[in-house]
Parts: sequence; C-alpha cells; structure tokens
Amino acid sequence: MREKMPYEEDQLKILFTPEQIEEKISELGKIISDHYAGRELIMIGVLRGSTYFLIDLTRKMHIPFAIDFISISHYSEQADSTGVVRITKDLDLNITGKDVLIVEGIVDTGLSLGYLLRNLKTRNPASLKVCTLLNVEARRIVDVPVEYKGFDIANIFVVGYGLDYNERYRNLQFIAEFNRPK
Amino acid sequence: MGIITISREFGSGGENIARFVAEKTGFLLVNKDTIARGLTQYGIEKPLPDPENQIGKEQDSHFEQQYIEAIHDFIYDLAIRNNLVILGRGGSILFRDYPPALHVRIIAQFTRRVQRVMKAYNLASETAVKLVKEQDRDKSRYYRQVFDVNWNNLRLYDLLLSTDKMEFEDAADLVINAYRIHAEPREVKDGPGVGEIEERAVIPPADAEADQFMHPSEEEFAHMLDFYRIRWQYEPRTFFLEWDSEGNVVEAFSPDFYLPDQDLFIELTTQKPRQAWKKNRKIRRMKELYPHINVRLIDKRGFESLLKKHSIDQDEKEGEES
Repeated sequence: MREKMPYEEDQLKILFTPEQIEEKISELGKIISDHYAGRELIMIGVLRGSTYFLIDLTRKMHIPFAIDFISISHYSEQADSTGVVRITKDLDLNITGKDVLIVEGIVDTGLSLGYLLRNLKTRNPASLKVCTLLNVEARRIVDVPVEYKGFDIANIFVVGYGLDYNERYRNLQFIAEFNRPK
Repeated sequence: MGIITISREFGSGGENIARFVAEKTGFLLVNKDTIARGLTQYGIEKPLPDPENQIGKEQDSHFEQQYIEAIHDFIYDLAIRNNLVILGRGGSILFRDYPPALHVRIIAQFTRRVQRVMKAYNLASETAVKLVKEQDRDKSRYYRQVFDVNWNNLRLYDLLLSTDKMEFEDAADLVINAYRIHAEPREVKDGPGVGEIEERAVIPPADAEADQFMHPSEEEFAHMLDFYRIRWQYEPRTFFLEWDSEGNVVEAFSPDFYLPDQDLFIELTTQKPRQAWKKNRKIRRMKELYPHINVRLIDKRGFESLLKKHSIDQDEKEGEES
C-alpha cells in the first residue's frame, strides 16, 4: 500500500493508516481511563517520539490526569563512547506517591526505557507503568514491562506519527516502514 | 561418526546402492534432498535447481561459493552427531583426511548406463546418451570448480565397484563389509578428527579490566551497555554442545556477553543472515540442552539499528527512541 507524499515516496511503505492509529488509541484511552479511574495519574511523555501519541491518547481519556515530559541522552547521539546516560530534561512534577504512566512512541531495545524506569522508581511513585504505541520485541535486549501497547511490529525501521528519520517524517499522519537510502 | 562416501557415474546405480547401504547400516543418507532440506531449516535457500549440475556455469558465483561452503559446514555438522552415507557432493574430498571413512566409487560401462537411463526415465537412446554425457560432465565440472581435483582420478577412492554384472543390493553388501573391515581398526578415539570446531572453549579472563574483545562490534556493544549503566560480563561461561562417543567435548559455545541483572546471555553477530545460520544453530542447540538459560542473538540488522546513529555519521542519525 503506497500513498503519495512530498518526501521520497518510494522509501515509505505504510504500516498503519491514520484510521487504524486512531482506533487503536481510542481503545488504549478507554482501557487506561478504566484502570486509573479514581487515582492520581501522571502521564509522562518521553521526548520526542511520543509527543503526537501522548496528545492524541490523552484526548481519548475520560479521567483527570496531569501531563509531564522527560528526555534522556542517547548512546547514539553522544560524541564519544565514554559517557553515560543522563536526563537532559527532567520532570517538573513531583511523582512521589503518584500513579505514573510512561508514554513512549516505540520500545525496541528497552535500554533507554530500562534506565528511565530505574531512575523514576527511586522517586517512589505509587505505581510505575509503561504505555507504548509501537513495540519491537525482536530488538529487545533488556526486558522491560510494557503494560499497554498499541501495535507489535517486526524488526523494521519505522517513521511517522512522531517517529523520525533525521528529524524528518514526524508529522506524517500514518506510520510507515522506512528504508534508509543507501 | 562413521562415514561412507559414494561417488557414482550417472546410471551406474550409485543412488540405489547408497540407499541400500543406508538402510542396512542405519546410517543417515545424505543426498541433495537431505542437504536442501537441512539448509532450508537454517534459512538458506538453494540458489539454483541443482548446484552440482549448475556450478561453474554462472558468471556470478559469489553466492554459489557461499552456498557450497554452507553445504560443507552442514555435512560436517551432521557428521559430528551421525553416521553418514554421503552420496555425491564431493564426500570423498570432504572426508579425505578422516581415516575411518570409506570412499567408494561406483562405475559401469557407458552402454550399460545408457540402457539403465533409457529404462529408468523412459527415454530414447539419443536422449539418454546425451543425458549421461551431460551428467558426467557436470560432476566433473563440480569437482574441478569446487575442489580443484579431477573427478576421474580414481585414487580419490578406497573401493571401486562396477555394476556391470552386479546387483545393486550385492554391491551394497560389499560396501558394508568393506566398511567394517576398513573402518573398525581406524576408529578415531580422540574427537572427530575432521570438521571444524569453530568456537573452542574460551577461558574467561580472570580480571574484567583485561577484557580482550574478539571483535570491534563487541567493544562497541560493551560501551553501549556501559552508557545505559547495565552491568555485563564478557564471555564468562562456556556451554558444551556436543560430545563424541568417548565423552570428549567436540563443540562448545561461549556467548559474548552475560548481563547479570537480566540473567541474560547475548551473542552478537554482524554476519549477514546467510552466514549467521551456524550461530543460529548453536543457539538452538544451546536452548535444547540448557532450556533454563536465557540467551538472545542480536543479528546484523538489530546491531546496526543499535549503533547506526553513533557509528556512521551525523547524516545517519535516527531518533527512534527519542
């Protein structure tokens, strides 16, 4: 299935249409609302891939909640190979005693999410769970508990709906398999 | 491991004899079907209808070369665990240096072979003549291309049998008796003596600081684990996978990393999927033997997606987990 677009259209193969994404997010919004009804929920978006997903997810929810964002450095973005992961943008809210849901666009190796979970746990939230739109089990190195997930996908590279290649394609309304130019 | 190799002229009845020998001895018959099936299990597809017949005809022989290597690895791997009757595929060359192996060549007069082929395939005589000549030429070419030897050099064989005046089953009985007389005094007691043990047991370094990585990708992977503050050990443990009849370890496997907090072994492979089947096989075998151990293979694709942003250049940057 192909769709015309202003980018290198032959490199993209649509995996999930806007309709499929919306339907899935509605389901997730309902499930999460039911689970967290009557609790103090803080939804934490992991920058930057989760932004579109987080916003649309929250619009499908029917309970009160707070939103915050967090960002961490990535191994692949550092200049040399001697550093360690650190938080580049921390939470503004205090999560101690709160029910925390981490919202990710995609979980693959579990390395960065594993670090986030360890870090946030030390702040003693009442509960700490993960919601991801996409899950790539085939790439997992560190087992991370994913409570809510939209789609399981194979070991492929995807863009769109917040996920980028070189900061591009985030604004696509669908999710597509992307074949890197050689 | 017992090995009988059977090379045959087309129409000499070698296939029938090989089947009889396998049935009577209980040895595993390795013919082109066994090999194709085996390789398919490892995800290697046959490049051509029959490489033995096609090899050397194609200009682009790189993949053929790999396929041939895969065939050889596959046969050697089979031989570690089984007694084999190997039909064709250059078995006499593959096991030339393994003394207990018996190498048999089945021959018959040209006219006799043509008659058999006419009958077996219901062919006219001209077609049968053509076919027999073609098949012999292909075998000869295969030996020359793959092993650089002359197929018609009868010194490659221990036993030469003509089926001009002999029933196939009698020929098979002769082969079996010859094998018993030949192989028993030559049984190898200390390991397979042939075949490659790719990864021998590795003695783990006593000091973690002294880790000597076998491959740059392993060092890179270790850096990445360090970055995410994940504890790791490099090749801390060796798993034995195969033993010979004397109980000697003939195959072992040391996964590259152990992550103690995850209780997980990790093996990296930067080989292309076609070459990674050997590691896949080892990991499967390890899971069979040690079902309680968690082991995970990170393949070339997975590894590239981990490191790409870092190792190529800024243009290759991708923000998947950002």
